Amino acid sequence: MKSKECVAMILAGGQGSRLGILTKNVAKPAVPFGGKYRIIDFPLSNCSHSGIDTVGVLTQYQPLELNTYIGSGSSWDLNRKDGGVYVLPPYQTAEKGEWYKGTANAIYQNKGFIDQYNPEYVVILSGDHIYKMDYSKMVSAHKKAKADATIAVIEVPWDEASRFGIMNTDENMQITEFAEKPKEPKSNLASMGVYVFTWSVLKKYLIADENDPSSDNDFGKNIIPAMLGDGKKLLAYRFSGYWKDVGTIQSLWEANMELLDETPAFEIGDEWRVYSKNPALPPHYIADTARVKNCFITEGCEIKGSVERSIIFEGVTVEEGAIVKDSILFPNSHIGAGSVVRKAIVGNDSVLKDNVKIGTDADDALDSYTNLKICSDGISVIGVGITIDEGIKIAPQSMVTRNVKNKTEDKK
Amino acid sequence: MQNKVLGLVFADNPEVDLGVLMNNRSLAAVPVGGRYRIIDFILSNMVNSGIINIGITTQSNYQSLMDHIGTGRSWDLDRKNEGLFLLPPYIESATASDTVLGGIDTIYGAMDYLKRSRQEYVIVSNCNTICNIDYRKVFKAHIDNDADITMVCFKVDKLEESELKRSILVNANEKSGLISDIQIYPSKQSNNLSYMHTFIIKRELLIDLVEDCVSHGEHIISKDLLLRRVKNGRVFAYTFDGYNQTIDSIQTFFKFNLDLLNKEVRDELFATDGDNKIYTKPKDMTPTKYGKGADVSASFIADGCKIDGVVKNSIIFRGVNVGSGASIENSIIMQQSDIMDNCMVENAIFDKEVILRSGKKLVGQETYPVVIGKRTVV
Repeated sequence: MKSKECVAMILAGGQGSRLGILTKNVAKPAVPFGGKYRIIDFPLSNCSHSGIDTVGVLTQYQPLELNTYIGSGSSWDLNRKDGGVYVLPPYQTAEKGEWYKGTANAIYQNKGFIDQYNPEYVVILSGDHIYKMDYSKMVSAHKKAKADATIAVIEVPWDEASRFGIMNTDENMQITEFAEKPKEPKSNLASMGVYVFTWSVLKKYLIADENDPSSDNDFGKNIIPAMLGDGKKLLAYRFSGYWKDVGTIQSLWEANMELLDETPAFEIGDEWRVYSKNPALPPHYIADTARVKNCFITEGCEIKGSVERSIIFEGVTVEEGAIVKDSILFPNSHIGAGSVVRKAIVGNDSVLKDNVKIGTDADDALDSYTNLKICSDGISVIGVGITIDEGIKIAPQSMVTRNVKNKTEDKK
Repeated sequence: MQNKVLGLVFADNPEVDLGVLMNNRSLAAVPVGGRYRIIDFILSNMVNSGIINIGITTQSNYQSLMDHIGTGRSWDLDRKNEGLFLLPPYIESATASDTVLGGIDTIYGAMDYLKRSRQEYVIVSNCNTICNIDYRKVFKAHIDNDADITMVCFKVDKLEESELKRSILVNANEKSGLISDIQIYPSKQSNNLSYMHTFIIKRELLIDLVEDCVSHGEHIISKDLLLRRVKNGRVFAYTFDGYNQTIDSIQTFFKFNLDLLNKEVRDELFATDGDNKIYTKPKDMTPTKYGKGADVSASFIADGCKIDGVVKNSIIFRGVNVGSGASIENSIIMQQSDIMDNCMVENAIFDKEVILRSGKKLVGQETYPVVIGKRTVV
């Protein structure tokens, strides 16, 4: 196998339980974002633009959709003769077989994959952030400083710093201390979950970590502190662009809505194109009864109703008289005539029949789906492949996880 | 018809004139329908019918066609064996390039490709008749009829004189479909079956007939190949009853595009719920962003646009910008055109990358749309 200077590994294993019903059947990286993307399109496109052509995607939770989505990798120009993109689930060997126990263990189990390419450096990425970053610049900084590990950091507001992994650095940006979610943060430089390691160094630590039965096999908790303890050179690499964790319903909704700002903080459509799989659908059709303002609409949609401040994915139908506001409609969902969808995320292939009201304050609205653990800020979530019968009203901040039948029809 | 048929598609047609839309591009590469090129429809039809060996003959200016088609990956034609073949023009001698070649000569130019292909049958077709057709049905009819040639036709009503002069009409037995005569560009309409410039034939027979024509100095497919076989062989008509539109003039180009505003046409042609989708080269554009000033109705809009003005009854290609206060009606605006603030456009066709500076007005007639060439700045 041809040697590569750099191999990227994307940690896409997480269920993302804070996204509730949206990740019931798909891993978090396969969750739709921004009208035609999946979250994993962002790290994959970054790799492609950064000249990293060998990428492993580590997955163990509901891998089918992610596997199908990535396919040969041609959508990201990652179908290469040497290298390319590989989906790497856990596997069994003659001695043993086990699930990925932690982020470090996931890389440990795939050290054979990395070794094939005999790389100098390994870039470790997480599959649940929205950002555009040139990893090659970070690798150059790592190389130049002769560091053992480089961790990308971003300044976060001080009052939020205790939610992140915080890096304390000296004046040369060398990391002196790593604090996971500190109560009293000494710095506001948060780890972005983007690491560059010198592979020969990391490999030793992964093996030692695997042999320590008390370890959680986690980069943040075990590998980084161990390297710091041994006096290895760990560098913080400052990133100043847009970076957003979309791990909760509220942050996912917000990040989508931000795309619609007059001058958005994050511009998907600049020269650093975000690639995604092409669904082979025709352009969208806006009917003469439609009204579309301040929204994203993509291929294969038929819009006959009113859509305002919303993100509409491929293949969506909005029937006549329907009103969609402050909402995100995932692929192939259907909004029936006269239905009203306010501040909601509607899952793939879900069908709202006629005159359904989502997020309504009406007195007779169903509040049995209210879920304050997953939903907040008045946002409702309709799961994947759900059918909601005619005339049903659903209160704000609901999470609908199964079909909602019309009771009056049942009696007939 | 599991890999029994190969496709031979003509990327050009000397009888078609689309004016500036064909400056520096072949007919097959003319953009249509918001995100497609003319060739996408026939390529997708062939692929969806199980054809995996397709040759495309080219005449000149095939750079943009090559850019579009690449390795054929978008149609799943980047195959280990067979796949997609672009066949550059074949010129026997230096002087031959001065003469306008007929279809026979074009097929003759692809003789090497035809001779080394393995498939028993060939579908020969123009690229500019747009439809969603299942060639497996045509093939089945061809075999069932034990035909030498099967010509794909469609039923027409009373034709205008101008249409008649561009039509090849077919006299076929209503029950069996056996063709007794064909009239090429007639002045009077004697029947209502019109040829769609697609036929199916055994590969060996095609090679024999073409070589025979060439040795007799004959050039025209309809007259010298099809009509002759009608007289002394078994030629059948297959009647296609779906939507089809041949693009052979600015008017028919305009009509086809605006036909897409009709839901029945869209549903049939793009078959979004079926397996017979139309494929094209993806461009990785973002979704289209509608601004607060957008007022859009009855329009077909591709990805990557920024729309802040009025759009009515129009086809908008990828990456078009419509400024605030601008209005576009009954028009076709191709990719990356920029219609700045307060412009007014009506009954117009804009080729790619046209810039209309703020406040400009461009109005054509419904029957005679104004056509603006690629990269024009107004």
